[in-house]
Amino acid sequence: MAGSDDVVAEKGGERASDVIKTVMVVIAMQAEALPLVETLQLVEDEQATIFPKGAPWKKYSGDLDALNVHVVIPGKDKSLGVDSVGTVPASLLTYAAGVALQPDLIINAGTAGGFQAKGANIGDVYIATEFANHDRRIPIPVFDKYGVGTMEAIPAGKLIKDLKLKEGKLSTGNSLDMTLQDEEHIKANDATVKDMEGAALAYVADLLAIPLISLKAVTDIVDGNKPTVEEFLENMSMAASALSRTVPLVLKYVSGKSVADLSS
Amino acid sequence: MLFFSTEKLGISLSKDCFDIIKYNLWLQGTCEELNMGGLEDAGGTKSGNPTITSVMVVIAMEAEALPSVETLKLVEDDQSSVFPKGAPWKKYSGKMDSGLVVHIVVPGKDKILGVDSVGTVPSSLLTYAAGVALQPDLIINAGTAGAFQAKGATIGDVYIATEFAHHDRRIPIPVFDKYGIGTMEAIPMDALIKDLKLKHGKLSTGNSLDMTVQDEEHIKANDATVKDMEGAAVAYVADLLAIPMISLKAVTDIVDGTKPTVEEFLENMSTAASALSRTVPLVLEYVFGRTVSELHYG
Repeated sequence: MAGSDDVVAEKGGERASDVIKTVMVVIAMQAEALPLVETLQLVEDEQATIFPKGAPWKKYSGDLDALNVHVVIPGKDKSLGVDSVGTVPASLLTYAAGVALQPDLIINAGTAGGFQAKGANIGDVYIATEFANHDRRIPIPVFDKYGVGTMEAIPAGKLIKDLKLKEGKLSTGNSLDMTLQDEEHIKANDATVKDMEGAALAYVADLLAIPLISLKAVTDIVDGNKPTVEEFLENMSMAASALSRTVPLVLKYVSGKSVADLSS
Repeated sequence: MLFFSTEKLGISLSKDCFDIIKYNLWLQGTCEELNMGGLEDAGGTKSGNPTITSVMVVIAMEAEALPSVETLKLVEDDQSSVFPKGAPWKKYSGKMDSGLVVHIVVPGKDKILGVDSVGTVPSSLLTYAAGVALQPDLIINAGTAGAFQAKGATIGDVYIATEFAHHDRRIPIPVFDKYGIGTMEAIPMDALIKDLKLKHGKLSTGNSLDMTVQDEEHIKANDATVKDMEGAAVAYVADLLAIPMISLKAVTDIVDGTKPTVEEFLENMSTAASALSRTVPLVLEYVFGRTVSELHYG
């Protein structure tokens, strides 16, 4: 379809019709990443000369079919030892690794909260169709829109259909919990899934003119009865396993195709 | 620059005397680096104690930046070698009379909406990219901020941040909660603060201009005097790159006052930007030729 091709061409830049040879997968938490690294038998790049000396960032690389695959993670915070979650570390990592590796496609894979009112279940893996922020409130005309920062995903209708993936809008914020204002904004964003990095990575990918796909596995039902933290910790490893099955399927699917081929 | 270890030489010089000697040697074009021991190895790596000869100033809003660009007579240059093709980031560069190399970098206007790319993500990306490319000896984050009158702040004040923290990254899991807040100490600068008579206080960062009840709770827990939208993120990047950083924040609005934030902010933006255009050059002059350790006593 001419319309979607234009959007694809715009989103992917000159790359839209190029065959996808290198894919960079950005994952925020080590526990989310390691099952996938194992499944794909990727090897940690101990030198990681593409990263600044002080950064805890890690890179795992290898081949899958005809693809070069890199999984990059922001690693453990140097002072506190927990995963460097949130928008700033993930966007810095995506920027640095994106510039150095120049992938044809970026995949952001991770866990997320989902809304049962929008049909989400624990264990579902969603493709994000749109990105927005829910915790950047700037109540000045135009700045308000900028804070929300809504961005469309690249059209991937054929990929979604062929792999039978669920799809929905993603809303990003730097908190695991949700205040009333957050909830208001998430609802205004019409989001099905809620995470802590997605929209920032979409912003960086757009900056670098590299197409991006976002895959989010649901760990907790935000509008359910169970407290978020409890549900998240309970379902983290199951969701990480779901990712370790879905990401390779997506990788195999895109191998040898162009970004334009991913839409109907 | 000439390095002295006055202890090793067994002489005691007053700071003024020392400065005069350094200045005169600079005038004579002496630029030998004498490693006389007793000094940290500067070694060309940032982790040493280099003399400050280049500074990168990160400013989020064009309106905050342009008065300083003008005062310092910097020129916008072609950044295609430093920044990615699609980025709206801008770089203004030049040399001060002292010889200090100065770059002011701004994240620029959002490509779609045309407003300044404020907030933590664009500023941290910019600081990272420009920091890696320019390898400055020092980063200065200059900008406007809200402040608390309960902590002694008034409109127009320029604060040096003594500590950074986030107030809108709530992760209620043990240790992750601390990580979200991300408290970081500023480099010690009591000599700079005293000599330039600057106010100082803790800075709390969040991506919103407004303040919810939860934000307020966290800002109070952070014991912040000033509240901004980039500071702690720029500090995080500077630490990642092992480049020392100074944060200067000019107060546009009193958060715990009666006037609505947006109104006060818009009203006082240009006053604050002017205050910055006076303070930033003073700080630049002060740091030139000093090492980072010389910014504090003892």
